[in-house]
Amino acid sequence: MPLPRRVVCCWVLVLSGVLAVQYDAATQGSNAGPRYQVDPWWPRPFTNQSWVLGSVTGVTVDAQNHIWVIHRGGDSLETNEKGMMLTPPSATLCCQAAPSVLEFDQKGVLVSNWGGPGQGYAWPQSPGSLAVDAKGNVWITAAGLEAPPTTPARGRGDAVVGEAPAAAPGRGRGGPPPGPPDAHVLKFSRDGKFLLQIGAPGKMDGPDSQTTLNRPSAVAVDAAANEVFVADTGNRRIVVFDADKGLYKRHWFAYGEKGASAAPPAYAPNDPPAKSFRDVTCIDISRDGLVYVCDRSSNRIQVFRKDGTFVKEGIVSKNTLGATVTGQFGVVSSHGSAWDLAFSSDAQQRYVFVANGHDKKVHILQRDTLAPVGTFGSGGRYPGQFLAVGSIAVDAQGNVYAGEQHHGKRVQKFVTR
Amino acid sequence: MKRNLLIGGSFLALLVALAIAQSAVQRVAAAQAQNGVMAPRFEVDPTFPKPLPNGWYQGQTIGLWVDAQDHVWIVHRPDVLDAAEGASSQTPPTGECCNIAPPILEFDQAGNLLRHWGGKDGPGYQWPDSNHGLNVDSRGNIWIGGNGAMDGHVLKFTLDGKFVMQVGKKGVTRDSLAQDHFFQVAKTFFYGPTNEVFVADGYGNRRVAVIDAESGKMKRFWGAYGKPPDDKAALAQGAYDPTVTYQHFRGPVHCADVSNDGLVYVCDRTSNRLQIFKTDGAFVKEVFIARDSRADGAVWDTAFSRDPQQKYLYVADGRNQKVRIFDRQSMEELTNFGKGGHYAGEWYSLHNIATDSKGNLYTVETYQGRRLQRFLYKGIAPVRAKQQGVPWPSGK
Repeated sequence: MPLPRRVVCCWVLVLSGVLAVQYDAATQGSNAGPRYQVDPWWPRPFTNQSWVLGSVTGVTVDAQNHIWVIHRGGDSLETNEKGMMLTPPSATLCCQAAPSVLEFDQKGVLVSNWGGPGQGYAWPQSPGSLAVDAKGNVWITAAGLEAPPTTPARGRGDAVVGEAPAAAPGRGRGGPPPGPPDAHVLKFSRDGKFLLQIGAPGKMDGPDSQTTLNRPSAVAVDAAANEVFVADTGNRRIVVFDADKGLYKRHWFAYGEKGASAAPPAYAPNDPPAKSFRDVTCIDISRDGLVYVCDRSSNRIQVFRKDGTFVKEGIVSKNTLGATVTGQFGVVSSHGSAWDLAFSSDAQQRYVFVANGHDKKVHILQRDTLAPVGTFGSGGRYPGQFLAVGSIAVDAQGNVYAGEQHHGKRVQKFVTR
Repeated sequence: MKRNLLIGGSFLALLVALAIAQSAVQRVAAAQAQNGVMAPRFEVDPTFPKPLPNGWYQGQTIGLWVDAQDHVWIVHRPDVLDAAEGASSQTPPTGECCNIAPPILEFDQAGNLLRHWGGKDGPGYQWPDSNHGLNVDSRGNIWIGGNGAMDGHVLKFTLDGKFVMQVGKKGVTRDSLAQDHFFQVAKTFFYGPTNEVFVADGYGNRRVAVIDAESGKMKRFWGAYGKPPDDKAALAQGAYDPTVTYQHFRGPVHCADVSNDGLVYVCDRTSNRLQIFKTDGAFVKEVFIARDSRADGAVWDTAFSRDPQQKYLYVADGRNQKVRIFDRQSMEELTNFGKGGHYAGEWYSLHNIATDSKGNLYTVETYQGRRLQRFLYKGIAPVRAKQQGVPWPSGK
């Protein structure tokens, strides 16, 4: 049936023309590197019309070129957007959280979904990002809830006067999180069968521990060495384990130091670079064997060899600071410009894409120098715009997928122009 | 010869068979059109509007109208940006984005931002504490309300933002019998044939009020079922129970839109109902929608289809995130579309709807939705599903 295909093709051409204009308007930076525009037709709407995404904390692309997404689910939904999950329900058609782990094909069709508590492992209170290794196993970090609030929320609702929206139970308003805090990494088969847990909730033996973690945000798997690299955020370190058994291999701190140093003060643009990580929120290994780490609120990327030898660092956006706000679903931390990164799909991986959640855009850096070559996206809720863009991935064709935390609650696809 | 006859006969038989088949197909199609439900069909248009200039970030969007030039006007709440969203508007700035936009924004059909103004008090008028509702009258004036704790007024401006009139004032309290002010107005609707403005009054008061569009003078007002409003009785109705038919507006009285044939459609939001009146306040009938809905209710706003008869009524259900399409005569729901979420064709809290001269539908979202969206009108088509979901273009 060649006709429908041609029709689709023409649709794409027409829309590309229109959206290119929109994209230009949304772009505020210069663009010497590759240029991108949003594909508003990805993903397809959920077949289950009542499902919605929560705060998206991770996106990755597997060897089959499928796109995997993890989100916080009902825990991150306001009462207004989870009417079907309340007792009694406040709505019959909308909405409830989609399952936590979602696999999309290239067309944006949801092809599998799973996640939640099960036998033998502790599902995260609040997941961080995820990775799919070369064998097709899915790694999830238990990144934990944000630290207590420092700034009250602003804003106003349309609630009937005298009927303030109820706070979600056990969350937000600075209330204590239920149960022991997240401190582990989980490994599942691609269909959601539990395989391995490294660390355990509430068990945090400090930055030199060989068996425990502290609110890890991200993992990367080195297939050749069969090792898993963990961005161990709360311990301000990178720690490496055997990918099958979870046995400790090695760890290091900022600049490849072997000994932990004190937590640095809050970031200030003109201070000398902090000797330790503030919050490592991403880790990725390039084809040429370098380990790239985001130190989110330090606005920097540090690069290491796989053995922990420091190679270099680069600043993403020097002047970006941050804010901590509270909402119905708890504390929202929006700090710094280096939230997550991904490499371009060319053989040399010439570019690095950095999700800058506080400035609401994606930076494109040259990978060898970490020098900026462009940005795309702008702040807002429209297609191609971002709120708290905090996760990013690239598929085999070079399309970029960007996930939004907080109230963003989307994963958007960007195609080359 | 015999062979030719055979061929000719076969050909004839084939033609007859084709004709029968064709006629059968036509009969089936006709039967579907006759027996099946027909309703307006829409497709979401993710290219509209274009992103705002100047790093501006749209807040909760709580008012919408399409003017005679098919320009789309919205009012939003710029002041709801939190410290993470409005990083560049903090003192000192903590990031590069985003800046506070003026509350009144005008877009052309290409989605470009045109005029933008408002947000501050001026000589002779008080800007509302909490923007709410926007209407453009046929004489080129903009009307807005406000549902802040102090807001008891509506404001009339020219399209350029020049102040024309204030009716009511700030700093009043609930009084649904008041002649000279409102309390927390949700929406205004200019009705040309009588040169009146119908005020959905509102979040605090529990009435429909009608004023003269030139003088602002109160002409009449009424409560549920067209009876005199009774605030005390309305507030005593207690928590919502879907089995109870409430004798007073539970409110907010969130819309009061008038059809060309002179019927007033009033959204009694948390009662999950529309009450329909004549323009003099005489009660006609009521229709319940998603009556099991709780919290902030299912009936947020209405808009009319653009055929002369206004055959269809669109109802914004901001609780279930649906645009519900009603046959206005029977007030039967024919179908609905949309879905919860943040993608194109989805809503967080669907707050207002409006149509343009071509029949296209526009929506705005409050709370964490904060968008204006356009849905292109694609004519009257057979209804294929009661819940259509996100109305994607048929080719996608």
